[in-house]
Amino acid sequence: MKVTYNWLKDFVELKISPRVLAEKLTMAGLEVTSLEERGGDFVFELEVTSNRPDWLSVRGIAREVAAITGRRLKLSKNKKNYRPSTIDHRPFSINIENKSDCPLYTAKIIRGVKVRPSPPWLKARLELVGVRSVNNIVDITNYVLFELGEPLHAFDLDKMSQGAILVRRAKDNERLTTIDGEQKILNPDILVIADKTKPVAIAGIMGGRDTEVTESTKNILLEAAVFHPVIVRRGRQAMGLQSESAYRFERGVDAEIVEGASLRAAALIEEVAGGRRVLIKSSGKPKTKKKNISLDTLTVQRILGVNIAPAKIKQILNSLEFKTKTRAKNNFLVEIPAHRQDVNLEIDLIEEIARINGYENIPKSLPAVKPMINAGAKGNLVALIKNILVGLGLNEVITYSLIDKDLLKGFGMEQVNGVVDILNPLSKEQEVLRPALMSSLAKCVAYNLNQKQEYVNIFEIAKVFPSIKETPEEQLSLGIALCGARSLWFAQGHVQDGVGFLHLKGILETLFQRLGIKKEEYRFIGKNSYEFEVLVKENKIGALRRLERQILESLDIKNKEVFALEILLEKLSPHIRISRKFTALPRYPGVYRDISLVLREDIPAERVIKVIAGRGGKLLQQAEITDYYKGRQIESGFKGLTISCLYSSPERTLTEAEINPIHAGIVQALKDQLQVKIR
Amino acid sequence: MDIELIQTQIDSDAENINSAEDLEEFRVKYLGRKGIIAQLTASIPSLAPEQRSSFGQQVNTLKNRILSLIDEKQRAITAQPGASERVPCDISMPAIAQEIGRLHPVTQIIDEICAVFNRMGFSVVEGPEIETEYNNFTGLNIPLEHPSRDVFDTFYLKGKNKLLLRSHTSPVQIRVMKAQKPPLAVVVPGRVYRPDAVDASHSFMFHQIEGFIVDEEIKFSDLKGVLEVFAKSVFGQDIKMRFRPHFFPFTEPSAEVDISCIICKGKGCSVCGRKGWLEILGAGMIHPNVFKHVGYDPKKYTGFAFGMGVERIAMLKYGINDIRLFFENDLRFLKQF
Repeated sequence: MKVTYNWLKDFVELKISPRVLAEKLTMAGLEVTSLEERGGDFVFELEVTSNRPDWLSVRGIAREVAAITGRRLKLSKNKKNYRPSTIDHRPFSINIENKSDCPLYTAKIIRGVKVRPSPPWLKARLELVGVRSVNNIVDITNYVLFELGEPLHAFDLDKMSQGAILVRRAKDNERLTTIDGEQKILNPDILVIADKTKPVAIAGIMGGRDTEVTESTKNILLEAAVFHPVIVRRGRQAMGLQSESAYRFERGVDAEIVEGASLRAAALIEEVAGGRRVLIKSSGKPKTKKKNISLDTLTVQRILGVNIAPAKIKQILNSLEFKTKTRAKNNFLVEIPAHRQDVNLEIDLIEEIARINGYENIPKSLPAVKPMINAGAKGNLVALIKNILVGLGLNEVITYSLIDKDLLKGFGMEQVNGVVDILNPLSKEQEVLRPALMSSLAKCVAYNLNQKQEYVNIFEIAKVFPSIKETPEEQLSLGIALCGARSLWFAQGHVQDGVGFLHLKGILETLFQRLGIKKEEYRFIGKNSYEFEVLVKENKIGALRRLERQILESLDIKNKEVFALEILLEKLSPHIRISRKFTALPRYPGVYRDISLVLREDIPAERVIKVIAGRGGKLLQQAEITDYYKGRQIESGFKGLTISCLYSSPERTLTEAEINPIHAGIVQALKDQLQVKIR
Repeated sequence: MDIELIQTQIDSDAENINSAEDLEEFRVKYLGRKGIIAQLTASIPSLAPEQRSSFGQQVNTLKNRILSLIDEKQRAITAQPGASERVPCDISMPAIAQEIGRLHPVTQIIDEICAVFNRMGFSVVEGPEIETEYNNFTGLNIPLEHPSRDVFDTFYLKGKNKLLLRSHTSPVQIRVMKAQKPPLAVVVPGRVYRPDAVDASHSFMFHQIEGFIVDEEIKFSDLKGVLEVFAKSVFGQDIKMRFRPHFFPFTEPSAEVDISCIICKGKGCSVCGRKGWLEILGAGMIHPNVFKHVGYDPKKYTGFAFGMGVERIAMLKYGINDIRLFFENDLRFLKQF
């Protein structure tokens, strides 16, 4: 909403500068978003909140200015003779199909107008508030709309069938070309203004092109009415239209100003365009029930935390044209003026008092907060996991939960998890809610590779939305993606560490260890060459994956492998044991014995460890693979491993004599069961 | 063996100690298992009984002399590290990598803000991202067909009976209040969604932090006090704050909260649009109609609520000029935080 300094002066005396006024309005809740000096005037651009339709006019803003500057609103200086100059006795009727759609409709017929460009003063004012000048008649309807807040429309009377106006719902497939030149196909949800044969306007939103006022127009019908806000809103949305008129009707127009605005426009038309009024007619009498609200001054203090004297409260309310009646020591009965449809409860009055008294005059205090116990346990877990992953060098990303469905191609998640479609996406990128994180992470990897990053190591924890059941589900998921080779400097020199499945496993191992998920409780089951399932206690909680060629191609990833994992935290959380118990440190030193062996390449390392553990007995504390080798010294089809075995006892230092037979037994078992050769 | 000869030998050997290795050699030569002192001690029983005592004392003096020399040389070597190496390390070489990852800047800001409210006794609660029209609108006193809803443009789910993606974190107010009785003090971080065309300052997905408190004597002045602690903790002691009246359907009285521009310190610059103020959040006293929806008695309880956009706070704090950077996840961006 735009308004000018000089236009405001028509309604209220201004003794303060535009800058000071802007500051005062902003601090009263009518935010001035810009102030510009133009054409000898000052243009204020205001952000009018949706609860204050009364601020959508110059007079409404002037009323606020009067309240905050302690002045009185000037009475309208344009009070002229509003009686018709000659009476037209031709019959004319207004028919309103449903009074709830249109509580009030008024019409004025003015004959013999001369449609011309507007006089300079009118053009200039409209242009300052951002309205393009059309002709004197149309400009006057717009001028009064801005000045008083009542939308008006002028029809070319001679282009309508004579004698009647109908306010009715449109028929199915009825058509109307609006003044923007577009043909609209109407339906019974749309309220129209019609003559005897056809619709001539979409009520409260936009007029029809065929009946618009042009240079050749001689006689006009001036409409001023009130239409139901929801009807106008639905019609505007359905027709994809936007207008100053609809904007005001949707927010609510004060029925009490309709007749005054109409007469003001008629008088201006006669003054600017000539012609004479021959008919004044209206239909509908909206009930304006006076609202009275009881206000307890102690409640004001209870809500605001500041004591404002009853006399001050009364003065503030009166300045806003609220009438007050003192009923008891701390109680007023407040009568609400018709233009304040937003004030319905005591709390609304308290806001008015706080607003005009100034929020800056409310002190600061701190409440006595009673903290809740044990809330946010899940948030703590997510924070813990994030911190572990960051400690492992991974970078957290945040990707969109809404994605292009095509991004899921090749992942197979759509088939497995189903997908939730969005009804009203603005673009293809917002087509569906993602059923998993992995495809978004892959896209993020591709983006970073494009930015010439050699090594991408990222994770995200976010909701995913599989759609297996009727009601969509939200599950918290952890995704990790690795790609490329990490450049590492060691004391020995520079190393390229190309990532693979074992890096993902390493991340999971540390994560699980920190979360108290026992190492032996998860294992990997190869599904195919691209995927391993992760199980905890026989339950699948997620998967590791090397992204397939087809996926990489669709993301334009060349000569790189992407390794990713995804784990559903809901499935992991029952296994998490965060609480810890101390285990006494060994009092006696242990003895390490290494076994270097060669075995068939296809035997998993895990089986070697199992054999050792099976034979080690109580004194074997740990068996770890400490080296792996292939190459010249090893026959093809075989691999070399070194396993380090730790023997110790909590009761004594072990002797060679105790360890030797156990260790020999282990070696023998490996030879017997796995046909290893000892090196 | 001649004690005096040994004494001379010790002194000259000690002169030549320049490194830890030299020192160890010296120690082994004299004090080792088969070292000179051990040999001398071993020879004592073969001496005449009257000589044993004075010889023993002489050996002991020698031993003490050696120990003090070792001690002295040890200190000399440690005081001059690398005295034996000409170039100990080319410190200008690249460091041996010790890499740490980063939390996303949005997570860092959420953590920072939640920590401030935690200190004031608020608990962190989260809510679902798929919501009902009731929780997102009606329960919060936002009529479904009213212009006040226009700022909350919303994504709906296809064929899911009016389910939607929450357009703000406020529905969690309804959930928490329906589940619990006052007193309550809660902060809610999370993702929200609005069908906005994406540009430098708009995103169809972003993060909000909602906070609210309900008890028997919560006042507007408490809202001012709590938000001042928040703003000064996050933006610095020196910032100024102002509360401007505003309209939100779920609070009354409502306010928009500005801080003095952290770039120009209130003088007016391009970031604050020459105003000197930056809007950082919306707030107000919880509307009695919201209390009625959740079954609280507005005559007994009062409360305040506030909500802020996390990306906006992060952009102001870090000087980021494009919201899209948060969701592109360029590692060169992420590693700056």
